[in-house]
Amino acid sequence: MDTEKRLNELNERLRYVRDIFGARENENITLLATKLGDFQARERTLSEPERIRALAALEDLFAFLEKKLEAELTPMDKVRIVRHPQRICLKDILENVYDNYTEIGGRDEHSIDPAMLIARAYITRRKGKKVYNQPVMVIGQEKGHGQEFRNGGSVKPWGNAKALHYMKVAEIENIPIHTYVFTPGSYPVEDWPGAAQQIARNLYEMAALKVPVVSVFSEGGSGGAEAIGLADTRLMLSHGYYSVISPEGAAAIESGIRQGQRAPAELIETCARRLCITADDNLKNGYVDRIIQEPALGARVDDYGFFKQLRQEIIRATDEVVLSVKGIKLFRAMALRRRQRRGAPIDAEAIYVRWDLNTAARERLLSRRYAKFMRLSRHAFLDKRPAVKKACSACHDLGWSLYSFFRYDLWRKHHRRIAHAMAEMGAEVDVVKERVSRPWRRIFEKLGGGAAVPEANVERLTQLSAWEADGDAAEGDTAWRYVSPRAAEDRAVTCPNSEESGCLDLWAPDLFGDFAGVCSYCGHHFPMEYQWYLFNVFDERSVFEFNAEVESGNPLDYSGFDAKLEKAKQKLGRKSACMTFEAKVKGVKVVVAMLMAPFRGGSVGAAEGEKFIRAADRARKKHFPFLAYVHGTAGIRIQEGVNGVIQMPRCTMAVRRYIEAGGLYLVVYDTNSYAGPVASFLGCSPYQFAVRSANIGFAGPGVIKETTGLDIPPDYHRAYSALSRGHIQGIWDRRDIRNNLYQSLLTMGGRNLYYR
Amino acid sequence: MQEHKVLVANRGEIAMRIVQACRKLGLDFVCVYTHEDRHSGHVALARSLGGERAACRVSSYHDANELMAVADHAGATAVHPGYGFFAEDFRFARRATNRDRKLIFIGPSWRVIRELGDKINTKRLARSLGVPTVPGSDKPIYDELEAEDIAASLFAFQAEQGIKRPMVLVKASAGGGGMGIEEVLDPDMFRAVYRRVRNYSRRQFHDEGVLIEQRIEDFNHLEVQVVSDRSGKNPVHFGTRNCTVQSTGRQKRIEVAPGFAPSEIAYTFDAQKVLDDIIGHSLTLARKVGYDSVGTWEWIVTRQGEPYLMEVNTRIQVENGVSAAISRIRGKNGVDIIAEQIRTGLGEPLGYTQEDVTFEGVGIEYRIIAEAPEDRFAPWVGRIDEFRWRDEPWLALHTQIPTDVAYDIPTEYDPNLALAIIWGKDLSEAKARGRGFLDGLTLKGENRQGGMRSNIAFLGDRTERLLVF
Repeated sequence: MDTEKRLNELNERLRYVRDIFGARENENITLLATKLGDFQARERTLSEPERIRALAALEDLFAFLEKKLEAELTPMDKVRIVRHPQRICLKDILENVYDNYTEIGGRDEHSIDPAMLIARAYITRRKGKKVYNQPVMVIGQEKGHGQEFRNGGSVKPWGNAKALHYMKVAEIENIPIHTYVFTPGSYPVEDWPGAAQQIARNLYEMAALKVPVVSVFSEGGSGGAEAIGLADTRLMLSHGYYSVISPEGAAAIESGIRQGQRAPAELIETCARRLCITADDNLKNGYVDRIIQEPALGARVDDYGFFKQLRQEIIRATDEVVLSVKGIKLFRAMALRRRQRRGAPIDAEAIYVRWDLNTAARERLLSRRYAKFMRLSRHAFLDKRPAVKKACSACHDLGWSLYSFFRYDLWRKHHRRIAHAMAEMGAEVDVVKERVSRPWRRIFEKLGGGAAVPEANVERLTQLSAWEADGDAAEGDTAWRYVSPRAAEDRAVTCPNSEESGCLDLWAPDLFGDFAGVCSYCGHHFPMEYQWYLFNVFDERSVFEFNAEVESGNPLDYSGFDAKLEKAKQKLGRKSACMTFEAKVKGVKVVVAMLMAPFRGGSVGAAEGEKFIRAADRARKKHFPFLAYVHGTAGIRIQEGVNGVIQMPRCTMAVRRYIEAGGLYLVVYDTNSYAGPVASFLGCSPYQFAVRSANIGFAGPGVIKETTGLDIPPDYHRAYSALSRGHIQGIWDRRDIRNNLYQSLLTMGGRNLYYR
Repeated sequence: MQEHKVLVANRGEIAMRIVQACRKLGLDFVCVYTHEDRHSGHVALARSLGGERAACRVSSYHDANELMAVADHAGATAVHPGYGFFAEDFRFARRATNRDRKLIFIGPSWRVIRELGDKINTKRLARSLGVPTVPGSDKPIYDELEAEDIAASLFAFQAEQGIKRPMVLVKASAGGGGMGIEEVLDPDMFRAVYRRVRNYSRRQFHDEGVLIEQRIEDFNHLEVQVVSDRSGKNPVHFGTRNCTVQSTGRQKRIEVAPGFAPSEIAYTFDAQKVLDDIIGHSLTLARKVGYDSVGTWEWIVTRQGEPYLMEVNTRIQVENGVSAAISRIRGKNGVDIIAEQIRTGLGEPLGYTQEDVTFEGVGIEYRIIAEAPEDRFAPWVGRIDEFRWRDEPWLALHTQIPTDVAYDIPTEYDPNLALAIIWGKDLSEAKARGRGFLDGLTLKGENRQGGMRSNIAFLGDRTERLLVF
C-alpha cells in the first residue's frame, strides 16, 4: 500500500512539473514521464524488494531532475508556480510558521473580503526555561489553494480597508506587523471606497505606521501588493514575482489586442522576461532586501523545511528592524550581523529582542523607512548634467534647507510672537485713547460739529474710475493667453452629448478658443492641451521650471522602448512626463508638479517620481503650497517594471512628509487619471478636485471587464462618480480653474500661507 | 455690388423688409424657414420675388452651422441677421467673416459688437469720452466697504437732486437679462441686499462682482438712430425717437420721432439742448469705436433733463421706419434704413453727409397687438375675422394679416399684428391723424373666451399725452 501512495505522489509531482512548464516540451520532463510510465507498466511483474528499490531510484531521479529543471525555470514558469493551487498559502504559513494564531475579521466566506486574511499570531521563543510570547499582526492575501470565494487573492477595496484598520490596531498595541503579499492585483472596482482610493489611503497611513513592518512577497501584483507592501524590510520568496503588471496584461498592451482576445504565449513569455519580475531581479534593483530560498520548483504545501526557514527569516528580519532603531542593541546587533556574514545557518531565535518600541525609537523607525524608500530607484532615471552642475544644485538645495530652517523654524516663531503682542498692545492703547478723548469730543459736538451727512461724491459716481481687470487679456481675440492650435481650423465640432442634450455643433475657433473647450450647451469638456493650463491658470510669466534635466530612461532595457521614449521626448520637447515648476496663482506662490498626458500617456516612472518628490521637498522647504496638476496619467509606466511601481510608496511618503510638516497639498485631475498614481500619491491628498472632463479610477473599463467579467456602466469613471464616493472634493469648470484654485488656496491655506 | 447674394438669416416681418430692400438694391437673396414657418409671409415673399430656390428649409434659426451650410449651398456672399437670433452675437459675425468661405456680416464688425455688447465696457468707454452715464459704479465691486460707500454716495446724490424716493440698484456684474438685480430703497437695507446679490452671483456666475447704480424711475426713453459706412469715420444720425410708451414688460408700444417737441410742448428743461446733446454724444462714441453699420444709441432722460446713455443696440430695429418717415436725404423722402445698412454693409460708401440729412414733421409708430393692456398686457390668441383701415397718403402700414380671409393667430408668431407709421407736419397734426387712424380701424375676431382683445384703445389713450414729460 505504501508503494501505491509513493507512486501517487510521484504522479502528482510529474503533473505539477508539467503544469509549471506549461506547454513547453523538455527532455527532462519526457524522461521523467517515460521512466514513471515504464515503472507503472512493469510494476506488477516486480517483486516487492525490487519494486521498492526501483521506486527509490525513481524518487532519486525525480529529485535530481527537479533540481535540474529548477535551473531552466523562466520568469513565466515562476508566475505559473505562484499561481499553482499547490503553492503555499497564508493559512499554511500561519499554521506552520507561527506558534499560535487567531484569525480575525471574518472566517472563510463569512468575511467582508475573504481574499484578505488577518490574524493575531504569536511567535514563542524559549530561552532556557523562560518563554517569551511575542505577538504580531499578520496581514496578507489568502488564495486558499484555489478556493473560489477567495477570488484568487484579489482584494476588494473594503478588504484593503480592513487591512488598514488592523494595521492601526497593531500600531496602538505597539506590535510588529508581518504582511504576506499573495495577490495578482487589486480587484478594480470603484465602489465605496474605490480601489485606487483605498490603496492610496493604505499607502498614506503605512508611510507613517509607527511599528515595524516586515513584508514577504510571493506574488506581488502591482497596486494590490503595494496596499500592504510598504515595509521596513521586504523579503521575497525565491520563486515569487513582483511586477507592475501581469505578463499577460503587458503582452496585451504590447500587441494592442482588443478585449476578449488572447496575446500569443511567446509574447507573454517575452514580456515576463522583459519586466524583470523575479526575486533575483528585484534584489538586484534593490526593491527587496533579501530572498528566502525555496525548495526546487517552489514551495508547496508540504515543504515543512521551508516553513522552518521562513520562520527564521521573518524573526530575523523583525529583530533587525527593531534593533536598528532601539536604544540598547549593541551586542545583539553585532551578533546578528556576524552570523549573517559567516553565512552560517542562523538560529534567529537564539537571541531575544523585545519587539515593542518607545516613542523615540518610533520616530527613528519612520525616518529610517523614509530614507530607505528615498534611496530606491535612484539609478532608474537619467540626469545628464555634468558633475559640477549637480554639485551646485545640491549646494543650492542645502542652502535652501538652511534658509528654511532659520526663516521658518527660528525667525517666524519669534516674529509671530512679537507681532501678536504688538497687536494686543495696540488694542489696549486704543481703548485708553477713546476714554481720555471722550469729554473733548462731546464739547466739540455740542459746539455744532455734529456728525456730517455723507457727502455725495458726484465725481466718483459719474467719472471713469481706475480699474485693472484681473489679468484677462480682453484686447486679444479671446480671454485666454494660450489658445489651442485646434482653434485655427474652420470646422464644426459635434459634442458627444448632442444626442441627449441637443447640443448644436460648435465652430472650432469658438469652442477651442473662447469656450476653452467647453460645450456651451451641455457643458461637456473637450480635453485640452497641457499648455492651456500652464498659460491660462497661472499668472503671466510666473512659471519657473526646475529639475527639467531629470530624464526618463529605460532602466530595464526593455527592448523597443528606447525608440518609443525618444519619440515622445522629441514630440513634446520634454524629458519626462512630469514637469515641476514654481508659479503664482493671483499672486500666491505655489510649487506645481504636472503630469502631462502626451508624454507616454502621462505614465509615471522613476524620473517622474523623483521629480515629484523633489518638488514636494522644495515646497516643504520654501513653505509653499504644493499642487499636483494631473493633465492625464495612464498609470505606472509598465516598461520600467518595479522601478515604476516603487514610486507609489516613495511619492506617497514624500507627500506625507510634506503634509505632516503643515503643508497644503492640492490635487487637480483633468482628463484621464488611472491606476498607480491615483492609488497612491494623488489619491492620498485630502483636497482633490477634478475638472469636469476628468475620468478617475483604478483600471480602465477594458481591464475591469477582462479581470472581473463585470460590465460597467459608461459613466463609471466620470468625475461625478468619484465625487459621490468621496474620492474627490469638488468638480470644477475648466474656465474657473484659476478662480477656484485661488479660492482653495485662500480657504484651505489660511492667512499665513500654508503652514499651520 | 450687384454680384452679391444675401442670406436672410431671420424670419417674419424683418425678413420681409430685408428681402424688399435687397430687391430695391437689385441684389440676389436667399431666405431660410423652419417647418413651422412654411406658410409664413416671408417664405411666400421670397418665393414670389426670387423663385422656388430662394427659400431653404432649416431645422432651426438658431443653428449657425445650418445657416453657413445654406450660405455655401446657395452661393451667398453676405448674411443679414435681422434682429434677435444672431444679430448681436459677435461670435456669429466673427465666424462669418473668419471662415474659409468668407461671408460679409451685414452689421457692425465683430469687434465692435463685442465691445459694445458688454455693458460695463460701454459704460467705461462712454465715461472716458465724457458721455454721461447712469451715476454709480462703472466696474464690478468686490469689496463690501467700497460697495457701501458708493451706495451711501448715491443716496446722498439723489437727495441733493430732490428725488423723493431715492433708490439704488444692485446688479450682478456678470449677470444679464434681468437676473441678479435688486432695488434698495433704504440705506440700512443695503448690506443685506448686497450680500444676497453677491452670493447669488457667486453661485450663478462664479463671480462676486456687483454693480451699484442709481435706480431712475421717472424718465423718458429716447433713441438716436446712427448710420455709418464701413470706413467707420463719418457716422450720420437720422434723428431721435421717443419710445417711452411701453407695456408693463418694458416692450415698446408707441415710438415717436423726434424725441421731444419743444416747439409745441413746454418742458421743465431745455429739450432741444438735450436732443442735440444726446445726438452729439452718440456720434462721438460711434466715431470712437469706429462704428460701421446701422445702430441705435439708447438713452434715458430724467425729469431733471439729465440724459444718461444706457446701451448701444448694434442691429437694425423694428422702429427704424418711424425715423425714416421724418428723414429726408437731400430733401428727398422715402429713406430706407435697411437698404442703407445693406448697401453700406457690402462696402459702398455712404455717399452723403450730415448736412444732406434733414428732418420734416413728426412720425408716430403704433404697434397693433392682440393683447389685453388692462390685464397686464396678456397676449390674446384666436381668429381674426376682419381687419380694415382707411388708406391715407400719410400712412404706411406693415402687416402679415390678410384682409380678405379670416386669420388664425399662430401661437409661435410674434403677437405683433401690424405696424402703422403716421406722418404729420407737426405733433398736433400727427396726433390728430393718429387718433383718426385708430378710430377708423376695424379689427374684429373671437376665440372661445369671447371677443377679440387688442391694444387699440390703449394706443388711442396714450396718443393724447405723447412727448409730454
